[in-house]
Amino acid sequence: MAREREEILQDLANGVLNLDEELAVSAAHEAIAVGLNAFDAISNGLVVGMNQAGELYDQEEYFVPELLICSDAMYAALEILRPHLQKSDVTEKIACVIGVVEGDTHDIGKNLVKILLDVAGFEMHDLGRNVPLADFVEKAKEVNARLICLSTLMTTTMDGMASVIEMLKEEGIRDRFRVLIGGGPISKAFADRIGADGYADNAASAVKVAKELCAGFAAARA
Amino acid sequence: MPASDIPQDTQTSLERVLSYLQGVNPQRVACFPLILNHAARVLGVPVGKYNRNGETMGKAHVAAFRRYGNDLVSIFSTTSTLAEAMGTTMEFFDEDAPQIAGQPIQEYDDIKKINVPDFRRDGRLPVYLDATELAVSEVGSEVVVGTILAGPFTTAAALRPLDFFVKDLYKNPEWVHQLLEICCQAGIAFIDQILARRALPIIVEPIGSGSLVSPRHFKTFVAPYLKRMAAHIHENGGGLPAALHICGKTKPNLEAMLGADFDLWSLDAVDLGEARQIAGERVTLIGNVSPANLLKNSPEEIDAEAREVCAKAMGNPRGFILGSGCEVPINTPPANIDALINAARKYGRFDG
Repeated sequence: MAREREEILQDLANGVLNLDEELAVSAAHEAIAVGLNAFDAISNGLVVGMNQAGELYDQEEYFVPELLICSDAMYAALEILRPHLQKSDVTEKIACVIGVVEGDTHDIGKNLVKILLDVAGFEMHDLGRNVPLADFVEKAKEVNARLICLSTLMTTTMDGMASVIEMLKEEGIRDRFRVLIGGGPISKAFADRIGADGYADNAASAVKVAKELCAGFAAARA
Repeated sequence: MPASDIPQDTQTSLERVLSYLQGVNPQRVACFPLILNHAARVLGVPVGKYNRNGETMGKAHVAAFRRYGNDLVSIFSTTSTLAEAMGTTMEFFDEDAPQIAGQPIQEYDDIKKINVPDFRRDGRLPVYLDATELAVSEVGSEVVVGTILAGPFTTAAALRPLDFFVKDLYKNPEWVHQLLEICCQAGIAFIDQILARRALPIIVEPIGSGSLVSPRHFKTFVAPYLKRMAAHIHENGGGLPAALHICGKTKPNLEAMLGADFDLWSLDAVDLGEARQIAGERVTLIGNVSPANLLKNSPEEIDAEAREVCAKAMGNPRGFILGSGCEVPINTPPANIDALINAARKYGRFDG
């Protein structure tokens, strides 16, 4: 006999939360087999598990390795569910451009933020690492982004963030975007000084700040 | 404050730092701003040249010491330098520190290619060692010259893409230990080279930061290898202390760090008052004015921040050294470094 919807959703969430890719994937197959709605399985299963993992990260119970393995489990299950999404499930998302500023190749923090913002319902445009500063501006215009997320782990490259904000001002489009910055050496004081809209000191708080900053725009899914 | 109001030093830098080793209070606390790539600015050479020429690197640090009077000369290019000598490729920039371009370990089997490097030849190890020799010969009678090398965990993570490596901790722990063993042997060999040049080896282990790995992983994969390096320094360093720097947030891992048996901790984004509660009976604390603030704040703000740090850490039972939390950014205004060192003269006094 087929299991209840709740049990399958629980396995999807637990597979992600407990670093158990096998469980998440088998629950995704089961969800499809029993005709569970794919959007339901994603938003009430996988996303719940990833959000719980994000909370544990915020509480310093989980660290980077745990969060990355959780997200691997989530994306593996998502691959199975995504082809079954209905057109009506696809909602309007807030576009976000993210990347590590030029001169820095440390991207693990940026990757975590990208994953958690993706889960939070933002449409992510990842420029990668060591990104030429002008590319942030160009991409943000191209995809009509509302949010620009800049990351660096190096004290040597922090000033690049200020340059991106200056470029937006020079083009007269600063008001169209919210700029969120973060990374090892970044402080709230630094963010304020260079005129960023927000600062986050870890990947979990980046999502909270991003949502607050974008509250004025069409709401991102909770 | 006018310059005339800043108390004058009558101890030399070396006397000041030696008093820590002798267990007596110095006239005022020492100050270790981590002047690394910024030294190129003081000498007026491109950062790219500093990073590729040992004589230039050494001269830059001598010039920085002459300019600022910092109590530690710290020879350094990147935390990936040991890995670079073991196969990691780097990209160089004229006006920025080098960055990792490619890692040699993509598949588990690639570990077979990884060996302890030849210090006369491989990567830029000769650059470091030449710079160390030059600095020791020029200013070694006045100030401690330290040469910074990465710990085994950081070296391993520079040999393999980091997102793979951190997952390997779960997926293939035995393999990770094999890799760490090679990196530890390479680090110990580097320590011997540094000691032979009468410099102080300083271990940096940023990938062991609490921003990245849990206390459990720190105890399993980071502390045991660091402990071997500290023991090697204790056994072969002629009384030199073992010094460890970890960037970023270290609070979750402070307890686990105690297990590595270092004598000095240079800390970054952590409250030194809290670190003192955990480690003050065993460890001399170094830190931790924010590098971002050194780059962007005014000298008056640096003075105020340093004063707060001193208030938290001055009474640390095993001593305190004022410093920057991490590398002084390349383009830091010199007046801010002066403000940091002057703060040690003002707020770090023991002579009344």
